[in-house]
Amino acid sequence: MKLIDFSDVHYSYKQDSDVLRGISLSLEAGEVVGLLGKNGAGKTTLMRLAMGMMETRQGSVRLFGLDPRRHALEVKRRVGYVSEDQVLPEFLSVGDILRLHRGLFPTWDEGLERRLRERFALSPKAKIKTLSKGQARQVALLCAVAHRPEVLLLDEPAGGLDPSARREFLETSIRLLNETGTTILFSSHYMSDVERMAGRIAMIHEGRLLLDNSLDDLRENYSLALIPQGSGDRENRLMALKECLSVRHQGDAIHAIFRCEPERCRSLLEKGLDIHNAFCTPIALEDMFIELVGGRS
Amino acid sequence: MQLHINPSDELPIYRQIMRQIIDAAAGGRLQAGVQLPSHRELAEQLVIAPLTVKKAYDELERQGLIVTHRGKGTFVSDKLPDVDPAERRERLRDAAQRLLSQAALSGVPLADVIGMLEEMQKGMER
Repeated sequence: MKLIDFSDVHYSYKQDSDVLRGISLSLEAGEVVGLLGKNGAGKTTLMRLAMGMMETRQGSVRLFGLDPRRHALEVKRRVGYVSEDQVLPEFLSVGDILRLHRGLFPTWDEGLERRLRERFALSPKAKIKTLSKGQARQVALLCAVAHRPEVLLLDEPAGGLDPSARREFLETSIRLLNETGTTILFSSHYMSDVERMAGRIAMIHEGRLLLDNSLDDLRENYSLALIPQGSGDRENRLMALKECLSVRHQGDAIHAIFRCEPERCRSLLEKGLDIHNAFCTPIALEDMFIELVGGRS
Repeated sequence: MQLHINPSDELPIYRQIMRQIIDAAAGGRLQAGVQLPSHRELAEQLVIAPLTVKKAYDELERQGLIVTHRGKGTFVSDKLPDVDPAERRERLRDAAQRLLSQAALSGVPLADVIGMLEEMQKGMER
């Protein structure tokens, strides 16, 4: 069953400049999808639309088959949301905030709340304004997960956290996955976190979906070819190959991404383009990101 | 048994898990009948998605190297893994490729590399 479903979603903050230009993406129950994209690519906008914070200009957003604008309360009760720029009211204490949430969510799990509060060493008396950035994020995470949501939206949740706080965050999310089978859509610039958590990768660039693949498929069935500049118009000849996804100049070499394993990539280059000195290798997620969106304006 | 995974390795994480379990069983570090952690426990231990561990376990089970008894857990089967000879060669090829590239970069001629290998081999026999 599709728990999250974006269908041809368009959105613009200003007239004539679309942030999202027709995104279709859906998550089945229990899936964990890593949303990748440069700053400004539209990741946060997508998450906010899922939370019903804004209205799409075109297309539809559904969570549990419901419109998050029209069924705001029901959807919010079944969703947890953490974002980088989330602001908790500074004058409240940790205890106040937890009490507030406990009242809002019928499914609130006090045992889980206690467990996480102890794990994060959060004192209920502490005022939000006295917390470190990491602690404040932990409060936000606690509030997002203690009602055991069916869907978790994490928008750059680890931004600004140190490595041990990030790891703690991951561990908590994984336990939640284990215990509740939560469906997770999360964005992060930390590729190793994405590789640990996600089964599937959605890459967006300039408001469009550039890639939507399982992580294992990307590892096993894609390759990067490093090709010397050479003579003639290699770039166009490369792009003419149907397996070739992207071509980019880097120093005096050409970097090309192929939708096939390195062995086949090598033979395509040899047989198709008479290029015998290319280096073909499996491609890491971070390199894939740089190759696909880093080089584009 | 301790496993270690590297998220940014070329090999998908589920394959890293499979390979380490197969190597441990083939090398006798993992005896037949030993219980493995559940896929959920292992996921928490390695801090990776539970589905990834499940994928590795499912594949190992399909190959007959582990068995799951409902309600009891997952165990190493008494079928010794015969690591596919083709895969064994393939792995060695990868290592040889890296060695040759390294030698070429440092300007060490092939004959010297072979000499070095022979010397090391003698050292291992001693």
